[in-house]
Amino acid sequence: MNKIKKLDFDLLEKLLKDIEKPGRYINNEVGARSKSPEPASDFYNLISMALVFPDIYEVGMSNLGLQILYDIVNKHRDFTVERVFSPWIDFEEKLREQNVKIFSLENRIFLDCFDLIGFTVQHELLYTNILNILDLGGININSRHRRDKFPLVCAGGPAIVNPQPLSRFMDFFVVGDGEEVIISILERVKIYKCSSKDKEWFLKEISRLDGIYIPGFYKFHYFLDGSIESIKPGRKVRKAIVEDLNKFEIVQNPIIPNIKPVHDRFAVEIMRGCGRGCRFCQAGIIYRPVRKREVESLIRQSAAGIKNTGYDEISFLSLSSSDYSEIEHLLDKITSSLKSKRLSISLPSMRLDSFNLNLAELIQSGRKTGLTFAPEAGSQRMRDIINKNIKENEIIDCIKVAFSRGWEKIKLYFMIGLPFENDEDISQIVELIEKVIMTAEDGLSRKKLPRLKINISINAFCPKPFTPFQWVAQDNTASLDSKFNYILKNVPKRYINISWTDSRKSIIECALSRGNELVGEVIEGAWKSGARFDNWTDFFKFHVWEKEFRKAGLDISFFTTRGFADDEILPWDVIDIGVSKKFLLREYDRSKRYLRDQDKI
Amino acid sequence: MIDQKDTCETRIRFKFYKKDEFKYLSHLDIIRIIVRALSRAELEIKYSRGYNPKPKINFSPPTPLGIVSLAEYADVLLDGGIEENEFKKKVNLKLKPQMQITEAKKIMIKTDSLMNDIAISLYGFKLCTPSSGKNLLEEFYADIEGDLRAKSDFSRSIFDLKIISDKENSDIILLKLSGYAKIFKEENNEFFKFNNFYIFFGDWLKKYRINIESVEKEELFVVRENALKTPMEVI
Repeated sequence: MNKIKKLDFDLLEKLLKDIEKPGRYINNEVGARSKSPEPASDFYNLISMALVFPDIYEVGMSNLGLQILYDIVNKHRDFTVERVFSPWIDFEEKLREQNVKIFSLENRIFLDCFDLIGFTVQHELLYTNILNILDLGGININSRHRRDKFPLVCAGGPAIVNPQPLSRFMDFFVVGDGEEVIISILERVKIYKCSSKDKEWFLKEISRLDGIYIPGFYKFHYFLDGSIESIKPGRKVRKAIVEDLNKFEIVQNPIIPNIKPVHDRFAVEIMRGCGRGCRFCQAGIIYRPVRKREVESLIRQSAAGIKNTGYDEISFLSLSSSDYSEIEHLLDKITSSLKSKRLSISLPSMRLDSFNLNLAELIQSGRKTGLTFAPEAGSQRMRDIINKNIKENEIIDCIKVAFSRGWEKIKLYFMIGLPFENDEDISQIVELIEKVIMTAEDGLSRKKLPRLKINISINAFCPKPFTPFQWVAQDNTASLDSKFNYILKNVPKRYINISWTDSRKSIIECALSRGNELVGEVIEGAWKSGARFDNWTDFFKFHVWEKEFRKAGLDISFFTTRGFADDEILPWDVIDIGVSKKFLLREYDRSKRYLRDQDKI
Repeated sequence: MIDQKDTCETRIRFKFYKKDEFKYLSHLDIIRIIVRALSRAELEIKYSRGYNPKPKINFSPPTPLGIVSLAEYADVLLDGGIEENEFKKKVNLKLKPQMQITEAKKIMIKTDSLMNDIAISLYGFKLCTPSSGKNLLEEFYADIEGDLRAKSDFSRSIFDLKIISDKENSDIILLKLSGYAKIFKEENNEFFKFNNFYIFFGDWLKKYRINIESVEKEELFVVRENALKTPMEVI
């Protein structure tokens, strides 16, 4: 049995000297509640899990999924879970220089002493951080070299719906909703720990659960051109689904970070899944079916959460919060029950039209912070292709009303590089922005007009697994850059602030997103060449990735700018996400004919 | 809304510490943690009027990151009446052991903000030499004292030194330093920073191979009629 080793406080103090934001590494937040490891004998009876968020503390602590899993596991008598985040560059250097392994926050237990290490992976550009954390924990990154019974290493989260790029590093993957399956897994870890059974036995045992993909049990055969000839066995892994969200109360005693996280507020999930069916949107497919929380218990639990935490902001989360049928009742009840408190409410991902503007007004009473619109495309043709159900006159009408009611800040999201895009679609982005400005000039008084601010965010489209566009060829960087430059050149300079993500970052994101198991070698190579925090523009090194793809004998364009054939076997075909390939293909076909779908809600 | 002229509000000054892990939290973090603890204790802070209302709570000058403080102060205006001890008990229940209120007192007279009023911060720390350094430390002390006297006239003295021997370990001498924050503020237009100690003493520390350990902010003082008083003594 492994001895539990911990970092003592004196050593931590030495490590924290001259470290930026040491509050990231000190634990002891209100709400942190790992089981005490004293006496040690008790601790051995517990199954210990490290829940790893491979980004910095401030980002990880803003993730609701992390809080939910933490709550569920720590409520269980037999299990304990502690948190681990990516150390920032300076702290990593210190750990390596002092030869100290990475440790959990709660009891400062070294990572390799845990029974189970679970990564929650939000996006592809965190893959190198995962390898870095395993390595900092003194754990071999390749699963086939990990012969000991423990620690077991797994990954879950939205990015791993295509598990292949990480498959060589993980003992298993958890696809889908984690609430129920995490307990089923830990129950089996307990049996495994108390027996002489081997790892193979354990993996077989959990493979019977919904949502568990075990890469070691599958074999891929390739054609000469690199596409997949067959996957053996043919059995698909069905995503884990929590049928009824109401079975789990919302987390009413979350960990309240001591240092300021990205989202410093009380977060509540009101609905999971989205019925809008935008064809580019991965979340819209992988979180299906749409499940909502019952409104009365939601109100009760939210009020309790606000009281317990002392937060002055509550955020109602879902993929499209204005589609929650009782949203007005919910907001009304929350604002009236907490009237004496100064509470602000936020509804991210709200579909804005004149009707919903009333909601926005209700929640932003007093302070009008800003309105966000996501037309995604400039032309109606393109919005039909991507099935984005908002019309230009709806946007303009809504903005008109917003200006008349005192808003002065507007944010607009667009994507470029969408399928079947032509020059006209791009120039219409510029035209739409011009119309917004004209509306502002009409609607705002001469005193207010100079304060007008329009933030425009432009992103390169990246085709994602399990979307109707999963087969689409990604636009190349030259074309993306020229489209962006056209917009930048032609858009009016006044009132406008425009931001753009590096197109080369989107290319790597796409390659990692649609990659097969061979891409794992590239990730390993890139990490060894110093890649980490790839989502941070300062650290993203395209040339490293380019070089590593070449070294692995792979062509980036094979995963990005190549259109996949309709009948091609895709790396993520091992997963049954709940939506059939036939449905996705049909949607793809309809997009080619500019046919929009009616909303399913 | 009818403006009831301050019939049921309470102005409280409280003193609290931040130690152990919490010394690694910044001043802004500390403020957020205290405000939230008050809210969890269901004590309502009054807000200023106007377009962008601000909670009526203000704090003593920041303690540098990484340094234990036994003397953090805050003044808060609460809606409703509450006794000092009840306030302390209620809030401490909502705070972690690493940060607790040690004293709370109602403010009965008009006061300046803590930020403006605090004149002196008293820091204590241990000076350690690698080996048998007792003589070395005494030499150091004589040296530093002479230099300080030479450099500063008494009325504007920057540092006041007190030497106390540490009973536990004869190699260690406790040195207490007070910094006249206001003077620093005038001269450098910047608040007193602990780093200034290092800048000021760096050469000596190097010369005598002395390490600074266990730095603690021990107390804050305000000046009243040419005498030093703690913030609790003047309300």
